[in-house]
Amino acid sequence: MAAGEAPVRMYHVSKSYMAGQYALYDVSLEVGRGEFVFLTGSSGAGKTTLLELIFAAEQPSEGQILVLGRNVARLGAAAVPALRRRVGVVFQDFKLLEDRTVEENVRLALDVIGTPRREARSRVFAMLKSVGLQHRRFHHPLSLSGGEQQRVALARALVNEPEILLADEPTGNLDPELTIEIMDLIASAAMRGTTVMVATHDHSLIDRYGKRMLRLEGGRVAEDVPAAGAGIGS
Amino acid sequence: MSRVWMLILIALSNAVRGIRNATATSALAIMTIAVVLMLVGSASLLVRNMGGIIEEVGSNLQVTAFLDEGLSENDQRDLATRVAAAPGVERVVRVGKEEALERFERLAGGAELLTGLESNPLPASLEIHLFPDSRNAEAIGILEDALDGLPGIDDLSHGEEWIEGYARAVSLIQGGATGISIVLGFAALLIVANTIRLAVYARKDELDILALVGASRTFVRVPFLLEGTIQGLFGGVIALLLILGAYELFLPQVSSGLEVLMGRAELRFFTTAEALRLVGSGGALGFFGSLTALVGWRG
Repeated sequence: MAAGEAPVRMYHVSKSYMAGQYALYDVSLEVGRGEFVFLTGSSGAGKTTLLELIFAAEQPSEGQILVLGRNVARLGAAAVPALRRRVGVVFQDFKLLEDRTVEENVRLALDVIGTPRREARSRVFAMLKSVGLQHRRFHHPLSLSGGEQQRVALARALVNEPEILLADEPTGNLDPELTIEIMDLIASAAMRGTTVMVATHDHSLIDRYGKRMLRLEGGRVAEDVPAAGAGIGS
Repeated sequence: MSRVWMLILIALSNAVRGIRNATATSALAIMTIAVVLMLVGSASLLVRNMGGIIEEVGSNLQVTAFLDEGLSENDQRDLATRVAAAPGVERVVRVGKEEALERFERLAGGAELLTGLESNPLPASLEIHLFPDSRNAEAIGILEDALDGLPGIDDLSHGEEWIEGYARAVSLIQGGATGISIVLGFAALLIVANTIRLAVYARKDELDILALVGASRTFVRVPFLLEGTIQGLFGGVIALLLILGAYELFLPQVSSGLEVLMGRAELRFFTTAEALRLVGSGGALGFFGSLTALVGWRG
């Protein structure tokens, strides 16, 4: 990716799972380095599909997607892992392994690239400290609260210092207090230069953080509202 | 530690974790491989020992020429000289009537069987020892032709027919054992493949998460291949121990039976290399079983 190029660029992207029915239709957008974007819209509007296209879980039916300079539409299966190591992903249901400790869950992202154990432990410890969970590193996910589990998932997504962080309804299962806690952590990643895209139904969050907002409707971008400029974490 | 070693270590630890988390299915795969290898290994050991007996008996193969009653000592000596010049003959030993009787008594454990007879009924004979490369049916046939019609020889006897029949039986057992080994090996392969396939399904969540954090296909697959290989090696070791146990248990009975039949016979267990090959073939079964499970899996 050339310097100054936006990490996420989409040109006339459509995604169809069934002939004639589009989950996304003719979407074109750019998300710049360190930019924080909320994706919103009703269920089925295409938020999750858009995120899945960015981390190459799906391939577009039409159009081009450039993620960190790589054309996802032409990405071979062997090249997908390398892209995903540069993109952190967080889900509403945390996706943690219950039989592994907090430390082992976070370390997965480092294990897949063969990070030496000592280095991995110290990076995991630092990451857990930054999300306030270093004292829980030997616990298993089921012994943690929802907010703590999401912080573990966030730590796993960020431990590899990804250039892009995608979050699909990351606070959907959390109460308001924990929601703010998680969103503050995500916003702080953007402040460190990570490009962040968060899919959410929660308009109070969009109002609170004052970031750019893309509203999807029927698979199209219905609204693209720029950042207010004075929100939290700007 | 380099990244490559770290990846190997992680793959190994994931494989062990996989076996630990699916103890029942892993135990099934291990026992299946153990049973298959025990049957195949036992058959191979049996065939090998039967072959050994052929070699041993074959190496002692000799032709005996029973002489006419009343042949004088001089004639016997002349005949022995002529026989010694026949093709394939290494040396000739003359056994007189008295010596034949002594041997019989030794073998029968006494002379009670012959007490009712007035005279020694056993004929004098020539023990014809053959050169090693003449200890076969063809060479014996040529020798018989050469000795045929020589005055003073009443009858010829040798163990060639018995050995040929025995060799045919060994070859039949060997063929049967090979066929059964292939069928059983294939069955074990499918069982291991299904075990690994179950493990893949059981760990789908884990694999999804690994894919999410950028695990390569190799990183995801190698632990499953190692898992199958480890199961196979365990199966191989168990099979080896079972065969060794059976061998030690039945060896005394089998040995004494063989001694009665053939005078002496030395049975032997697998050499270290053969034992390692048996265990290794368990590992190979496990590896290829896992590979079969992963072929076509897009993960």
